Amino acid sequence: MKALLPLLAALPLSSFLLLPAAPAPKYAVDDIPAALREGAHAVLRADDEVVAVKSAGRVVRTVHRVVTVLDPAGDDFGRHAVSYDALNTLGYLRGAVYDADGRLLHQLRASEIHDQGVGDAGGNFMTDVRIRYADLRQPQVPYTVEFDYEVASDNALFYPDWQPQDEEGLAVQNATFKVTTPAALPLRYQERQLPKGTAVARSTAGSLETYQWQLANLPAVEEEDAAPPLAHTTPAVVLAPGTFEVQGHKGTSATWQGLGQWSYELNAGRDVLPPATIAKVQALVKDAPDARTKARRVYEMLQGSTRYISVQLGLGGWQTFPASSVANNGYGDCKALSNYTTALLAAAGVPAYVALVGAGAGRPDLRADFPSSQFNHVVVCVPLTQAGRPDTLWLECTSQTEAFGYMGSFTGNRHALLITPQGGQLVATPRYGAAENRQERRLDLFLDDKGGATATARTLRTGLEQDLYAQLMHELGPTDQKKYITDHLRLPTFTLTRFSLAAVPTKAAPGVVETLSLALPGFAAPSGKRVFIAPNLLSRLPALPAQVGERQTPVWLSDACVHADTVRLHLPATFKPENLPAPVQLSTAYGSYSSQYATLPDGTIQYVRRLEMKRGQLPATAYAGYLDFRRKISAADKAQVVLLMTES
Amino acid sequence: MATSLLFRRLLLIGTASGLGAGTAFAQPEPVKFGQIDKADLTAAPFVGDSAATAVVLCDFGRSRMEGHGAGLQVVFERVTRIKILRKAGFENATVEIPLYHRNEDQEKVSNLRGFTYNLVNGAVEKTKLESTGAFLEKLTPTTNIQKFTLPNVREGSVIEYAYTLRSDFLFNFQDWTFQRDIPVRWSEYRVSIPAFYKYKIIYQGNQPFDVNVAKTGVTGLTLDNKVPSGGGLAAGTSTGTMNVTAPTEEHQWALKNLRAFREEPFMTTFRDYVPRLDFELMGEQWNDNEYHDLSGTWATNNATLLADDDFGGRLGRSGPLREQALALTTKYPTVVERTAAVRQLVMAAMRYNGQNRCYAQEPLRKAYDARQGSAADVNLLLIAALREAGIEAHPLLLSTRDHGRVNKEFLMLERFNYVVAVVPLADGKDLLVDATEPLLPCGVLPERCLNGAGRLIAKKETDGRWIDLVPSQRQVRFQQINLTLDAQGGLSGQVHDERGGYAAVDARAALASLGEKKYLAGLLARHEGWTVPKLTVGQAETVDKPLTLDYEFRQPAADNAPTGPLYLSPLSEFGPGQNPFRHEDRSFAVDFGMPQEETVMVTLTLPAGYELASLPKPAVVDMPEQGGRFLYSVAATAPGVVQLTSRLSLRKPVYAAAEYASLRELYRQLMAHQAEKLVIQKKAGG
Repeated sequence: MKALLPLLAALPLSSFLLLPAAPAPKYAVDDIPAALREGAHAVLRADDEVVAVKSAGRVVRTVHRVVTVLDPAGDDFGRHAVSYDALNTLGYLRGAVYDADGRLLHQLRASEIHDQGVGDAGGNFMTDVRIRYADLRQPQVPYTVEFDYEVASDNALFYPDWQPQDEEGLAVQNATFKVTTPAALPLRYQERQLPKGTAVARSTAGSLETYQWQLANLPAVEEEDAAPPLAHTTPAVVLAPGTFEVQGHKGTSATWQGLGQWSYELNAGRDVLPPATIAKVQALVKDAPDARTKARRVYEMLQGSTRYISVQLGLGGWQTFPASSVANNGYGDCKALSNYTTALLAAAGVPAYVALVGAGAGRPDLRADFPSSQFNHVVVCVPLTQAGRPDTLWLECTSQTEAFGYMGSFTGNRHALLITPQGGQLVATPRYGAAENRQERRLDLFLDDKGGATATARTLRTGLEQDLYAQLMHELGPTDQKKYITDHLRLPTFTLTRFSLAAVPTKAAPGVVETLSLALPGFAAPSGKRVFIAPNLLSRLPALPAQVGERQTPVWLSDACVHADTVRLHLPATFKPENLPAPVQLSTAYGSYSSQYATLPDGTIQYVRRLEMKRGQLPATAYAGYLDFRRKISAADKAQVVLLMTES
Repeated sequence: MATSLLFRRLLLIGTASGLGAGTAFAQPEPVKFGQIDKADLTAAPFVGDSAATAVVLCDFGRSRMEGHGAGLQVVFERVTRIKILRKAGFENATVEIPLYHRNEDQEKVSNLRGFTYNLVNGAVEKTKLESTGAFLEKLTPTTNIQKFTLPNVREGSVIEYAYTLRSDFLFNFQDWTFQRDIPVRWSEYRVSIPAFYKYKIIYQGNQPFDVNVAKTGVTGLTLDNKVPSGGGLAAGTSTGTMNVTAPTEEHQWALKNLRAFREEPFMTTFRDYVPRLDFELMGEQWNDNEYHDLSGTWATNNATLLADDDFGGRLGRSGPLREQALALTTKYPTVVERTAAVRQLVMAAMRYNGQNRCYAQEPLRKAYDARQGSAADVNLLLIAALREAGIEAHPLLLSTRDHGRVNKEFLMLERFNYVVAVVPLADGKDLLVDATEPLLPCGVLPERCLNGAGRLIAKKETDGRWIDLVPSQRQVRFQQINLTLDAQGGLSGQVHDERGGYAAVDARAALASLGEKKYLAGLLARHEGWTVPKLTVGQAETVDKPLTLDYEFRQPAADNAPTGPLYLSPLSEFGPGQNPFRHEDRSFAVDFGMPQEETVMVTLTLPAGYELASLPKPAVVDMPEQGGRFLYSVAATAPGVVQLTSRLSLRKPVYAAAEYASLRELYRQLMAHQAEKLVIQKKAGG
């Protein structure tokens, strides 16, 4: 190479100017192996991510990402957004786009990069998070986009993760991950779902340690029904700090104890209440017989005098507002309201702790074997006992309406990190199973002799089954509740004539009773002398689509529940059943189902259905059986009663 | 621009005056900030609003003009008082005010203040909005959001806030919307406009005002007194201030007891349905004999647009497409074919980025290099390229459905947000061409454009005209099915499913964004229990033809099928499945945008030795004034063969609210007939 230099230098300058200026093509679509196009809307040609741990308080991430968009369904990969905030600085964002042959079409200009606040997206009232995004989508596919950016983070509580295949329909041709860290800050990492034979390459140069991973030729994956999320199925390397520092607050996340200790110290001393508030609490609980009653009164006071308003600015994203601020303003975010509640409880003489949790319906539980900040929410945990046995109470402090002690699908059935003066402690939040999650429905259908009908139904839902309805009841006015239900009922033609929701606490879990009336004109139009009625009007469970190809992922059945229905068909005297469907009884590893029909002495037809679904994680091979179970349920749910109209 | 004009004129009439601002109105203000009626804190007066989560007790706005430097500003003051009835109404305690700024001109909020009132042990407790409860977010380069949230909000609280908004945008005199998504007890707007400015005032709404007073007044304005330097209109040296007295036009409007506004399906935009006031700047007058027309006529509008670099300036240059456009001139002799070819050329060169505009924002070269742009970038390039190719083409301004209806009487260019091409044809018809949606055939406007009428912009005023945005195609679906029933109740069939016109666009868009596999899985999801071994999508790329699906399916007999007669409703799997009109009544017109037709034809072959127990009766259901029809027929066309037909025709793009009941009934009849069961029994002695 070096030998060529004199030769080049000898050339007259003008010959350089005459050389074609176009750079050599790169990322030609033809270079993609056929196997990677199979089922793919886009191919990740290169994903080279570098994480440099500069110090306990600073981590710099650089990304070079090249994606070929194969068809319009992959178009979203043609644009890219990077978020930043007070603690994360975006160094640069560059982009380019190439045609199918790999020829440069356009280089992203600074003026084409949009920069904007995220507004109230995500339920925040105010946040410093902003995004920069670039749109390089082209009029014609295929095309290839290239993005380069660097984010320097002063929030070393979080280290970047690497999961190149984070969406379905995306194949990966080549991806690399390189992490450098000072030897004094040994890297903590966890490899997940890596293909066989993938191994980390480690090297040390001076006081710097380097870790490298590489992935190549991963065909596109498809999300399947009743499956774990992609985060649990495609290759990933997850990082977390050992010792770290955020804005001068030092800590360790090597253990749950250490991580909790950091959070405790960050928020220590922020629980001081105004004297008037303390006096108010003490008066409130003065005559309360026990700690649970005290906690209940405090929770009612909280719900009646505060609301959720989220302000996330700088360190304020992690450190709570003082309790006095909530006392004065009557609002706060999850941290502030939980901190305030523990302060109120302390004033009432009830010890309580805040607990960090990864909230969200359907969000998988945290990885207990990899201590790291896996949380997005804060709740309050009150360790109580009843008759000598632990009877821990959990409080959601951001809701003005949640039932006392109820976590629901948002934070139940998972682990949380209890923040105590001695540090963090992983504990289980309440479990909601088939005993709690119930739907019990009684429906009466009144048929007239023209085939028109009216129906009334009373439905009691408890536990996770009531979550949506409790939300409707509290968050919408009666008019909008009725509108919501009307928009979501799956009946051919109907008018919702009456609708109401009411809270009915049950022993096992909170409950909501729904009462509704329907007008069903032309519900059972006679065909000749016969009339057909499917008694299961409101509780059908649809079948799942037939499996195409081989099932790839395990079967995850998320929530256990029981649905019990009793339907009575009240018929005009001139209608007689000609044929009642045969009973169905199913009992499987996934759950059980039964339906039966009977003619009661007064001529009323009664239909009784019971469905129980189990919670569990089963191998992929179990999916065929699950499909069959759902298909049989769907068929039974659609069964029809045949009525004959007799001459009167 | 208006400020500069103003400055020059003022020198002519500026006379020092000691008169202060005149009292605008003798009428008492409907709300006094900080003074609350204790009765509003008790539950009793709110029985009638029990279904609401919150009620606006009073919303009171006032706008006037004030001197600002050498020009004027619109000063808008607002006081709003809201009763929170339920926790679900807490969101009304958080307020966002969008503030625009462009070059030197801006909107700014000042004097923001607020209180929350709670009744605590019979006494009124008042909490002040502190500065920690207010933030300014820089949302985009042209928009800031002033946001604030009131403290100590509970069920039963009354909240109150007030602010002043100063705006340099005189063309957009502060508008006013009376109705909201919660009930409004009283909404009032007052304006005081100095006689220098003439606005056309547009009230949209069918309920008459409860208060509507107009009169004249007087105001004093304080402005910078400048000596012109000759270096440009706004240049000059300030020599202190001067006071100007001017007569004013004063208005007071109020509406009371407005219900909560609720969105319904098939609507254009909220703005089109709520009572509101808009202002259109018509002109300036700074002395008796010099009136300066600013809104003018379509003639001036045309001239303004065509002289604008970002509109007219784009029409003469197709730049990089010039050679290719020229080449099409000889290749396609007919106007219609050549137009389609030019459109293809533009679509291949530039992609619509989803932004609706009628002015280009950046130089053509920039948009062209990035290969994407707004509707203006794309369609102005289209017009230029058409002209290069020797085709007469004009810009047509319109307002998209989500931007709101255009009133032909008003001339405000801000009412438009989109531009397409008009190509006049030899037969006197107009071809409306848009190059933003490659999935549409040439001459069919995207659904977002089907909104009233558009205005053709031409050099000669007499060539300018309104063109109704009548959809050139319908939404059409046609299904032809051959079904074979076996004696156990098992079913097999061949289905031919065609979507044409706007139905084809929707289907092609879904197909493109989901990919074929997901799209087809979605289509088949409603047919539980079907196995479909093969499915063919036809004419996916040929956008001027219907999109077709051809497939076969099998549906095995039920596991425990009873013996005896077989029951089947052959149409039900192929119909809409549910009445789209689920609500009992409707306040606003049903705006589909285009007519529709949906046909299902089933030929059913019965098992050998079986026959229909009885033949269902045919039906024809007509909407009043031939607005729509549902037709249903069943016929035994041959031994063992039954032919069923269901056809729904909705001939109008828009149905008035009064027609809602008959529209809903038409669908009810359709659902009932499609669900009708055929009873299939063994032939006697068979």
